[in-house]
Amino acid sequence: MKSKRSQEGYLLIDHSNSPGIPDDIAIPSGLPAGIGRGKQELPTFTCSHCQFVLIMNPLRTRERGYCPKCDHYVCDKCNGIRVMTGECRTFSQIVDDKHEEVIKQESLIRLF
Amino acid sequence: MAKRIVSVTSITPTATADTTNLVDSAAAAGYVCVVQPGTTTQRVQILEIYQGGQAGASTPTFMVLSRDSQVGTGSNTRMTGQTDSNLDANTAALAAPVLTGNLFATNKPQRGVNDHLLNLSFNAFGGIVRWVAAPGEEITVYGTAALIGEVSLSAFTGGTTGLMGAHLIYEPY
Repeated sequence: MKSKRSQEGYLLIDHSNSPGIPDDIAIPSGLPAGIGRGKQELPTFTCSHCQFVLIMNPLRTRERGYCPKCDHYVCDKCNGIRVMTGECRTFSQIVDDKHEEVIKQESLIRLF
Repeated sequence: MAKRIVSVTSITPTATADTTNLVDSAAAAGYVCVVQPGTTTQRVQILEIYQGGQAGASTPTFMVLSRDSQVGTGSNTRMTGQTDSNLDANTAALAAPVLTGNLFATNKPQRGVNDHLLNLSFNAFGGIVRWVAAPGEEITVYGTAALIGEVSLSAFTGGTTGLMGAHLIYEPY
């Protein structure tokens, strides 16, 4: 049986021999507080709907976005859309649709 | 297919805003690399990114992996010190190689506003960043259309960019 932890990527940010990044710079650039100090090894996940890579905040208490249809974690933005519409459209489906579109266009060009 | 690695030995990335032409990488400045499939139906997966600081003073460097709202066009070449090679010595040459160089002759790549995929900010004075995707969770790039057909690893505005080396491992299909 597949575990959701098997979907976790790995992020190492090592400032153990560096002044690092202060929080007033790190937070506005989208990184969690404290990440710019010392050595941080963090799990990440790739949103299956948009492929945005998120750092999993170990201190998060809110429920993490999860799509039961594709059995993947999703980012907060995609989770909002999923809750509103009930739609699950993974990035793999977007790529497949694009592929079909390109193949159709190429076959039309060959016909004419 | 076969895994490949694009590597830059030393570069001070040029900080650039979104939807602005990324500066061609000459004289060890510009951006690290793009990944653009070699054909309209090629698919590429990004497996790993590493950045190591080489600066001699504190330089918070805001590196971003992002989908591009304008893809690079024209002849694609490399700066001195950028290489793209196969990880396995026995890999056959690709019929349609993935474009990974950091100089484009015609249109320059532009990052999309809402399309940053991964924030790899670090201090290039001794900092190290490494991201590895879980198997099956890699970032996918497909074809050559805007927002789906190219990603770039470049510096965002703010901070002070510093000298760094980097590599990116990808696998074309």
